[in-house]
Amino acid sequence: MANLKDIRDRIKSVKSIQQVTKAMKMVAAAKMRKAQERMEQARPYTHKLHEIIQTLLPDVDRSLLPLLDVRDIKRYAYVVITSDRGLAGSFNTNIIKQAQIEIDSLGKENVDLFCIGKKGRDHFKRRGYTIIEEHIEFWNEMEFNHAIKLGDGIISHFIDGKADEIRVIYNEFKNVAVQIIVKDKLLPLEYNEQQEEASSGERLYEPSRDDIVKSLVPRHLNVQIWQYLLESYASEQAARMVAMENATLNASDMIKALQLEFNKARQASITTEMLEIVSGAEALN
Amino acid sequence: MSTFKLEIVTPTRILDEGMITYVRCPGLDGSFGVMTNHASAIIAMDVGEIKITRENRDYYIATGGGFADIQGDTVLLLVESAEEANEINIARAESAVERAKERLKQNKGIDEKRAMMAISRALNRMKVAKR
Repeated sequence: MANLKDIRDRIKSVKSIQQVTKAMKMVAAAKMRKAQERMEQARPYTHKLHEIIQTLLPDVDRSLLPLLDVRDIKRYAYVVITSDRGLAGSFNTNIIKQAQIEIDSLGKENVDLFCIGKKGRDHFKRRGYTIIEEHIEFWNEMEFNHAIKLGDGIISHFIDGKADEIRVIYNEFKNVAVQIIVKDKLLPLEYNEQQEEASSGERLYEPSRDDIVKSLVPRHLNVQIWQYLLESYASEQAARMVAMENATLNASDMIKALQLEFNKARQASITTEMLEIVSGAEALN
Repeated sequence: MSTFKLEIVTPTRILDEGMITYVRCPGLDGSFGVMTNHASAIIAMDVGEIKITRENRDYYIATGGGFADIQGDTVLLLVESAEEANEINIARAESAVERAKERLKQNKGIDEKRAMMAISRALNRMKVAKR
């Protein structure tokens, strides 16, 4: 039987772990609320812009913009969005696993990587993947400028012909308990070829439709990337909150079990002591 | 007066202006006005002020440019920013102008375009706020 002091020390250490997980949970909850708000505010803009693009593009010649250029695919690029910090349950593991399966199926020598977040960067760097760009340690002060910078890098990579298709893997925020991994094709810009073209035929465009498409498309990409970052950040905080909640509960269970063991040990020692006294007295008689 | 619906959507918020009779927006080649029964159109917008007439009163909004999507009896303005006159912080706009001018003095060429844009946005804000 473990001795009393050992058990007491363990209870103490589990309790302090629990305090940490509780605090982390609260911090993640506060951050998540903010992130969620930001993300939900951005969604309508992103979706409307997307809608407009979808109605415009079917009538536009793909040769108008290099971003629309569909080439034979010799080389892929992946944008993998993870977080900087761990302790967020399976948030990073799932994304990295999915990304690695996809990349390996294409052959790791045929894929360039844009790593967002330390966790993904570390994982792929250690395994010798080709990392073109890494963006880390910006989540806390994330701004639209980050999306623009990232977008510029991705766009020039595509336009320079270094990759013929660019895909994104990230966590989309469904709700606090559910984040789903989404795989999107970012470039060349995709659209539904069989759009009902009734409405777009009679529209006026000012300056011209081609000019509008030219300025809309890069803006659309930046906004899209911004949305990915917001979604991922909100998901990260939600995942961490849930993970820390579970950790706190587990710590409670552990404390309970240890307390029981402690009481048992205490009673056992009292019983032994009494037996010793009684048998000592007996011997004197 | 017949009315139509106006919605202003920015990356950070949505302004639902409700039913209005007239809106004037800063187009790339000069301002344009929209009233009911306008033809469907997509029009690029520049930095400038949006004027809205609702129930015979005029309202002003400063915008950072974007697009107007006119479809049927709904007008949707997809813009980078939109601030109502009473929300604008004039002191902040003034200091933004100062900062941008300072930048222009210091390094020529590098960020000239961005600084000029910043100045035009800030001046626009000040103009709208003083309406």
